[in-house]
Amino acid sequence: MKNINIIFLTILISFISSCESDTDFLDRPPVEVISTEQAFTDQNQVLSILANLYDRQFSVYRLNDWQSFSDFNEVFVSSNDNLTARWHTNNTWPFGGINNYWTTWDYTYIRELNLFLERIVDSPIPDNVKSTFTAEARFLRALYYLEMAKLYGGVPIILESQTYDFSGDPSYLQVPRSTEEEIYDFVISEAEDLKSLLPANPESKSRASMGAALAMQAQAAVYAGSLAKYGANTPSVSLPAGEIGIPASRADAYYTTALNAATEVINGSAGTYALYKKNPGNLQENFAALFYDSDANPEIIFMEEYKLKFRTHGFTIVNQPRFGAEEEEGGALVPSLNLVQSFELLDNTFAPLATVDGSGDPIYYDNQEDIFANRDARLGGTVILPGSSFKSRPVDIFAGLQLSDGSVIAGDERGQLRDDVPGATEAQQVVGFDGPIGSRIQNAVTGFYTRKYLDPAPGSGRRGTQSEVSRIQFRYAEILLIAAEASFELGDPAAAAGFMNQVRERAGFTIPLVAGDITFDRIVHERRVEFALEGQYFMDLKRFRIAHQIFDGTPVTLNGLKSDIGLATKRSTQPWGLWPYKIFDPASPNHGKWIYKEVLSNRVTGADNWQLGNYYSIINNDILNNNPKLTRQPNQ
Amino acid sequence: MKNKIIHQLYNIMKYTMLIVAINSICLNLLLANDTNAQKAQSTKEVAVALDSYEGKLSSILRDIESKTHYKFAFNGKDIKKLRNVKLSNNNGSVYDILYEVSKQTELYFKQVNNTISVSFTQPVDSNFRVDEALDVPISGRVVDKAGESLIGVTVVIKNTTIGTTTDIDGFYSLNVNSPTDTLTFSFIGHTTQEIPLQNRSELNVTLLEDILALEEVIVTAYGTQKKESITGAISTIDNEDFGRVKGGGTSVSTGLAGKLPGVAFRQRDGRPGAGASIQIRNMGNPLYVIDGIQQDEKQFNRLAAADIESISILKDGSAAIYGVRAANGVVVVTTKRGKKGSQNVVNIDINRGFQSWVAFPKVTNSSYEWALQKVQADVNGFGSSNITPEDLAKYQEGTERGFQSFDWTDFILNKNSPTTQINISTSGGTDKINYYFAGNRNYSNSVLGDEFDYGRYNIISNIDAQISDRLKVGLGINGYSETTENPGIPGGDDYWLPKYAILRNLPWERPYANDNPNFLNDIKHNETNWAYNNFGLGGYLRDNRKFAQANATAEYEIPGVEGLTARGLYSLSNEERQLDVHEYTYDAYTYFEATDTQDEEYRVTGGSSNPWRQRNVDKIQKINTQIGLNYSNVFGEHEVGALFLAERFEERFRGTFVRSVPKTNILPLIYFNDVVDYNDQDNEIARLGYILRLNYSYANKYYLEFSGRRDASWKFAPGKRVGYFPSTSVGWRITEEEFMKSFLEGSNILTNMKIRASFGVLGDDDIGIGPYDYLAGYNYNRGTAILNGDPVVGTQDKGNPIDNLTWFKSKIFNIGADFALFNDRLTGSIDYFNRTRTGLRGRKFDIVVPSELGYSLPDENVESDKQFGGEFSLAYSGKINEITFEVGGNLSYARSKFLSSYNPIFFNSWDEYRSSRENRLQNIQWGYQVIGQFADQDQINNYPVDVDGQGNKTLLPGDLIYQDVNGDNQINGFDERPIGHGTNLPIINGGLSFTLGWKGFDFAMDFSLSSGYSFTAENELSRAFRANGGNIALHLMDAWHREDPYDLDSRWIPGYFPPNRFNQGGLSSVNKRSDFWLTNVTALRARTLQIGYTIPAEISERVKIRQARIYFNGYNLFSLHNVKRYNIDPEVGDTNGLQYPQHRVLSMGVSLTL
Repeated sequence: MKNINIIFLTILISFISSCESDTDFLDRPPVEVISTEQAFTDQNQVLSILANLYDRQFSVYRLNDWQSFSDFNEVFVSSNDNLTARWHTNNTWPFGGINNYWTTWDYTYIRELNLFLERIVDSPIPDNVKSTFTAEARFLRALYYLEMAKLYGGVPIILESQTYDFSGDPSYLQVPRSTEEEIYDFVISEAEDLKSLLPANPESKSRASMGAALAMQAQAAVYAGSLAKYGANTPSVSLPAGEIGIPASRADAYYTTALNAATEVINGSAGTYALYKKNPGNLQENFAALFYDSDANPEIIFMEEYKLKFRTHGFTIVNQPRFGAEEEEGGALVPSLNLVQSFELLDNTFAPLATVDGSGDPIYYDNQEDIFANRDARLGGTVILPGSSFKSRPVDIFAGLQLSDGSVIAGDERGQLRDDVPGATEAQQVVGFDGPIGSRIQNAVTGFYTRKYLDPAPGSGRRGTQSEVSRIQFRYAEILLIAAEASFELGDPAAAAGFMNQVRERAGFTIPLVAGDITFDRIVHERRVEFALEGQYFMDLKRFRIAHQIFDGTPVTLNGLKSDIGLATKRSTQPWGLWPYKIFDPASPNHGKWIYKEVLSNRVTGADNWQLGNYYSIINNDILNNNPKLTRQPNQ
Repeated sequence: MKNKIIHQLYNIMKYTMLIVAINSICLNLLLANDTNAQKAQSTKEVAVALDSYEGKLSSILRDIESKTHYKFAFNGKDIKKLRNVKLSNNNGSVYDILYEVSKQTELYFKQVNNTISVSFTQPVDSNFRVDEALDVPISGRVVDKAGESLIGVTVVIKNTTIGTTTDIDGFYSLNVNSPTDTLTFSFIGHTTQEIPLQNRSELNVTLLEDILALEEVIVTAYGTQKKESITGAISTIDNEDFGRVKGGGTSVSTGLAGKLPGVAFRQRDGRPGAGASIQIRNMGNPLYVIDGIQQDEKQFNRLAAADIESISILKDGSAAIYGVRAANGVVVVTTKRGKKGSQNVVNIDINRGFQSWVAFPKVTNSSYEWALQKVQADVNGFGSSNITPEDLAKYQEGTERGFQSFDWTDFILNKNSPTTQINISTSGGTDKINYYFAGNRNYSNSVLGDEFDYGRYNIISNIDAQISDRLKVGLGINGYSETTENPGIPGGDDYWLPKYAILRNLPWERPYANDNPNFLNDIKHNETNWAYNNFGLGGYLRDNRKFAQANATAEYEIPGVEGLTARGLYSLSNEERQLDVHEYTYDAYTYFEATDTQDEEYRVTGGSSNPWRQRNVDKIQKINTQIGLNYSNVFGEHEVGALFLAERFEERFRGTFVRSVPKTNILPLIYFNDVVDYNDQDNEIARLGYILRLNYSYANKYYLEFSGRRDASWKFAPGKRVGYFPSTSVGWRITEEEFMKSFLEGSNILTNMKIRASFGVLGDDDIGIGPYDYLAGYNYNRGTAILNGDPVVGTQDKGNPIDNLTWFKSKIFNIGADFALFNDRLTGSIDYFNRTRTGLRGRKFDIVVPSELGYSLPDENVESDKQFGGEFSLAYSGKINEITFEVGGNLSYARSKFLSSYNPIFFNSWDEYRSSRENRLQNIQWGYQVIGQFADQDQINNYPVDVDGQGNKTLLPGDLIYQDVNGDNQINGFDERPIGHGTNLPIINGGLSFTLGWKGFDFAMDFSLSSGYSFTAENELSRAFRANGGNIALHLMDAWHREDPYDLDSRWIPGYFPPNRFNQGGLSSVNKRSDFWLTNVTALRARTLQIGYTIPAEISERVKIRQARIYFNGYNLFSLHNVKRYNIDPEVGDTNGLQYPQHRVLSMGVSLTL
């Protein structure tokens, strides 16, 4: 038995002696951490850092955060009750926007861009690669400053990574805001440098190219130009030291820069870009395809790219037509009649959608889509209209049956059947499977669905697959319209008409505009319809300083709705809808025909009221608190 | 269903067989120890022919052994030293041969029975070289006080090594040399007795328990302590108490409600397999230590309650010995072990119960009521309704298609869903080895039907063996296999949609198109169509966890130093989890009747085409090693103890996640081409500690203990890893003092009174940083960018390293007293504690760096808070005639207060009032105070305060009037005031228990009390027709409404709730947190009621059953609380009441002891 004791002691001693030291035991190597030296040694690893910086590029508008597209009353938000309430019963717009969509202050991103630029200098990777990577990081940094400028005006421009030395005095880190002028000048001058450093490669759409640099330059310049010119209309929206407000005297210079940059792109010095016209036979489909067809799409200059399995978004899931949706979801953002009716007739005139004739009687349409006939092809490419299809499935949009006595039978459920329709021998469907049902969410509450950016690929509406449609940051049509705007502002309306007609021709307009047609309203209007639901609208309202006129807190009446279409400052404080009704009157020749009624959802109880402060986003208290050299926003 | 029963029976049989097999092996082991009692022959009568004349002595003795019944007992080493022997003859009697050997070697032989002992000196009682036993047979039986036979009692002839042990029935027999010998009977836990034979041939003995040895011990950190010497705040509960809870397929934690003073309890989710959240003194999540191994709540909850011997809660500095993870108290669990020298016992307990929900929000199941309410809500909200009076009449009639009623609650819920628990265990032991084996089956359906179920098998084996006089080893093996199964449906929690369906689906909606069960009806929100939430249409989810753990222990008494032992422990556990989810695509149909031109048609109008297949595979390995020295000794009245231990803990988690979009619903495997997502994880944890504890006590009167721990955690920067956690405690038993004894003059009024105090420093490394935050560099796998078609995985700068943080310190002071009165019949204890935590993570605000720096200064260990409160418990046990009874109760209170942050900055005095935390109680909810409801439209029109922020335009009679606290005539954030407690655990916890015994009957009842937390009714509980037109909760029908719903001018009829509107967010009465919707909850709950009957032993023993008991158990039978209005369980937390409530379980059971 003694032996067992010895064996035990032997095991014990060998066990103790074989133990690691405490330090070794506690040091557990991380599995995903790379040292800074390692990170910059290998070209692929450096690209991986750059990929992270591309991944985090900022835009107020994000496909994976679809609510950001809910620009005022261009769409009605019907994804859930609370959001509907927040958007449409609200009558003052908070400085940060609902859900704080108008804010960003991501200097961590700036710092990491700066660190990248500093650390790559000593990296052993080949010089040509290094120079392109460097230019790309500078491009992303300039792009982020441009996005910040659009929201805040001048912000601190920090081009080197800073480090606090724990000395107790952080004042050396405090950088004041630049002027609004300086920040646009910074973006423009960076772009000027970058256009020679970046490849002139139109095939490179999700990495910075010369075309992207020029587009950024053109956009920054035209924004700055319009801020200089129209900022004068709202003198109270400015700061004495120029953090907000660009001297009007600089307008022409900016417009010239914008026109030059745009012209360079149009001339092909950055490679060949062109409008997307792969499907000339169906201009509506062609326009829709511009957004989902990224295969050799000549129009895209720079985009945030998505790809199935690797980087996808749910824009299609939440916005797909609810009937036949691939998931029990859809119809979150539904375009308003305000937007729909602003698409011109093909004779270059503006007109409301004809629901009644001159004597006020309803107009009976044989087919649902007839009411939208002869309009700008971009309408059908932007909006899913009653009578049209998505993923080859016709949408089923109608609000009820109208009987011979003018009364309406409707329902509370999509596709509701009723046994008791007077004059019917069998059950009748009294409301479309897509709605509209005003008290419900996730259906065509306005009578329409969103089409732009909706992905027709099978599976795009499924949570498990999602969509790979990419978000376009700069496209050729914008270059043309920047050229048009700059030409107009520089006193050359004929040139402006020329640029604008190229865009309009793709939309099916056959009568070219002439110099005399080009007005401020035209410029604003063309951008509104071309770029609807792309995020330009909100920025345009701000730089043209017309938002406070459009959102004046006064409700939109039916007459108001139908008049002054095409006017840049037309009131649009509430989103209206247009509901189709089916005539059920077997005895009448109108049986089975369609009439339309303008409706304002009873969920809309507020009327948007744009405060002058809203022209620039709030700088939060904690940010101001951390840096006493920052000035507050006007009206803040 | 039938298959399931067969499956269960099969499992029961499987386990029974296993246990029987284990048993028989062990019994054989026991019997192998027994000496042969048959009569021995004299050495003179036995002849033997040896193989050779000469040789080594040992080989000659072996030769004899092989040819006779005799066995020699000798010390092999001594024998080896001897020269060879050479015999004159190799043939003859054993006596002759041994006699010759004796002469040559000077060895002496003595025969007792068939054993011949060999020694170098002549035995004192013998005059012969070869001494023959007299062969006096003696036999008898050894029993305990109760007359139960004792097995394994050592019976030895005094002053010899000759002896035997008692057999399974307590009998022994032995041959002694002389009828005047003395026998020594010794048995663990009993007083040793020496009895002279005095010429008796039969000697029956009753061994009495050794009172001192059986003193009540309490499991504390790294060992046990006598109850009287405990100086910390420790509460204990044993199996007898929490084992009464038969709550269905629930976890150990659910049995603790109201049982332990100082333990806050709340069970928000009651689904099968769910645990409760428990906290010690509301300090945060405690550390769990199971059989000496640091574990977590997950493992604790998955123990089989029947296998637990006791649970101790270390509430104060006594936990400090667990160091870095002990800041929130420690739950120490001990599983059952066999007792040394106890009979082999088999216990079988089978319990079968039926479960239903204790409460769940109720909705209307009448189409007419729904329609009527909707008309009111429409008119209230929009001024008119789509539902016409004619429609309403049809709803009332309820016969036409689309107007009928359907009871979804009844359709979805399965009342009396079964739950079964089976436990079979066996335990026993000799003086050398003891064991406990058990198998446990726990199976429970959910009230959502038998497709939502939970099952677990537990198996445990604890064996201890004294393998030499100084070395004791133990091996504990335990494991479980747990399976959760339910239909795979969208959403992270597949129980959510079915529950939500109850509130969402409308009474006129029907599950099947045209009521044809082959066609799922398209109700337009089909995910809540219960007819789809099943394996057939929905898919499946299977979550299986397998866990196995082995704990090896060894204890070695170091020779030379009395009371010094070395001990070691090595524990290894492996957990494996596999989760498989497959959500199917499905179609939903709308039925179109036949017309003149068309046949009837079920047309696909809804459904999902989204197939979802995922698999998670996780492996968790934990290794715990302890090695140390233990010393304990008594010097007169001084008792000293010391412990030194080194402990290491490491854990590795490896997990993979893969998701695919399968082509069909049929194929269960995942194919590469369909894979869309893959994730890989590998994380490690490592901690180590050195532990020192010193105890001293004098005369069982004064107690002093000091302990300290030096811990190191991998989480911090290398220079910040180490921390020290000392604690000390003292105790004074006043009743042991002479003056007290003389004062009490031997009366029984105060039998024990101890005052104790402790102070300790505990730590916590869970301060909200990741393990590698102290390193600079880049993190791989941060986002993916698509760069011109190529997906590129991102790498991101880690940010500035956080290398200044270390654990926070928690100082806990406790003072308390334990007392016993009236001859120990009334016992109790009282405690007060105060815990201060310093070094909590926070920011120094005096240096602010610009946000534009791009990184924020790291947090530092600068904030502090405190937790204070106390407990009181009292128990009385008594006996009146033949009735024995016990009554016990406890009450505890624990709150937390924030102490200070570092130089906080406030923008203005309101900001300071509203957001300052300095020196304030924590867990306070702010909200509006409701001072009434508007009585009529006039009052609204003339009301000076803008209540809804829209000039009171949206208000109706019955809407809430909020107090305009600051008098600015508008209601906004400035009018908010503290109105409630936190939503987490109750501040006040308590319990009451009663037990009664009379003859064979036993009765027990427990209550738990909780108070001091808040529930806010929101969403479905405060808004009718919520979420795109859901149903209306019954209580909301008691709302203000118009007499004629269609007439805007008709009279308002008051109700309790504000008038309903249809599906409108943003209404003033419901979109603000106010004391109208917030309730500060107090609940008294009947937890367990049990009635049992034990069949008299004389009857049960006829069928060889030692004890048979049948019982009835009711769990959660009723509760009294103040949120009854919402038809919810007072413990749910979701503001819409949608959590899976606890079950009410009625069960019957049988327990047998064989």
